[in-house]
Amino acid sequence: MIDLIVFLSLLALGYGAGTWAEKRHYRSIAEREGAMIDMPAVTLKSVDIPEHKIRSAQLVYGSAVISVDYFKRILASLRNIFGGNVKSYESLLDRARREALLRMKEMAGDATVIVNVRIETAAIGKQSRRKNIACLEAMAYGTALTVEK
Amino acid sequence: MKFTPRQPGINVNVTPTHPLKELAILAGGLLTIVVGVYLALGLAVDLMVPRLSMELEKKLAGAFIGRLVETDPVADTTRSLQALVDRLQDRCAPLPYTITVHVKESDAVNAAALPGGHMVVFTGLLAEMASENELAFVLAHELGHYAHRDHLRGLGRALVLMTASTVLLGADNSINSMIGQGMVLTELSFSRKQETQADEFALETLFCHYGHVTDATSFFSKIPKDGDPGRFGHYFASHPENRRRIGHLEDLARERGYPPGKPLPLPADLVSKSKPS
Repeated sequence: MIDLIVFLSLLALGYGAGTWAEKRHYRSIAEREGAMIDMPAVTLKSVDIPEHKIRSAQLVYGSAVISVDYFKRILASLRNIFGGNVKSYESLLDRARREALLRMKEMAGDATVIVNVRIETAAIGKQSRRKNIACLEAMAYGTALTVEK
Repeated sequence: MKFTPRQPGINVNVTPTHPLKELAILAGGLLTIVVGVYLALGLAVDLMVPRLSMELEKKLAGAFIGRLVETDPVADTTRSLQALVDRLQDRCAPLPYTITVHVKESDAVNAAALPGGHMVVFTGLLAEMASENELAFVLAHELGHYAHRDHLRGLGRALVLMTASTVLLGADNSINSMIGQGMVLTELSFSRKQETQADEFALETLFCHYGHVTDATSFFSKIPKDGDPGRFGHYFASHPENRRRIGHLEDLARERGYPPGKPLPLPADLVSKSKPS
């Protein structure tokens, strides 16, 4: 009985806190994406800029680590039984990638363009099997080019 | 190509399903499956019991034996009871079981039929016995449960799980020991019909063995009416169910013309045990 109460409290806490944090994060992401929209980050390896005009080229990267909340984890473990899209984790990955891209752009400062952008994802905290603290990291990196006007 | 910065209007990477809706669907589905399996197990018991071989039943019994061996064996009493059961079984109740009697120290006025032919008699029962016939009736009643394999049905859904785990994982597996440990001997429940059939079996056995059925019902009516029968109320006469059983046995004895006779005294080994005060 105690176990059940603890479980349900954790579930409610996970849902409440998780939803709140996610909404807040998405608001912040949308805001900053709007603000940085003028700095293109592309996956092209090079852009059509004469070499002598490029003032600097610099590695830039951004990474974000986002934790799973209890509610999402339960939802995902139920998904593990039946199979299908793990919808509860989708927003986590989405948030992590977009946050990583934003941080990368932040690092680029006043660069003109970021080329050769790549995004990597890694799960962290998987070492201990029992108390597996499920977090995921997304990392975005690229080359920031500053072009003379 | 001109680069025009713009934000995508929709987020294709996140499914817009509400998480609570997903939880309801998944948890509801799981619950439905669990309930379905539970109900199916209940139905499977009746289908399985007649098909369960004795060998498999002996293996199943492994889960209980461990605890029975631990109980303090009252050697003389056990031997004497075993002899009585053997005599009953020998001529009048030929069952395809080798019945092993275990005596367990307990105030419970009861006896239990466990899988694998392990019959448990509580010392509380022995203390109440006045004649061999009376005791024989109770023992024959338990033999009746074996004859109809009620002891397996009494295990209920646990039996299906144990059988499945024995067949799949062998006799000594963790599922069996878990169920065996969690089970209380006196919790084996029998339906009214099963009890009645076992009573009839006991009455026939008693007549066959002694030639009369005196003291068959004395046990029911002799137990004091005071005191809460509780869950050990299997045989208490104050219980309306037991009045019905007494009536049924007396009717049956009259109907079949079973004569009265002289009850035998208790075997000496049991008498000493039966007077604890």
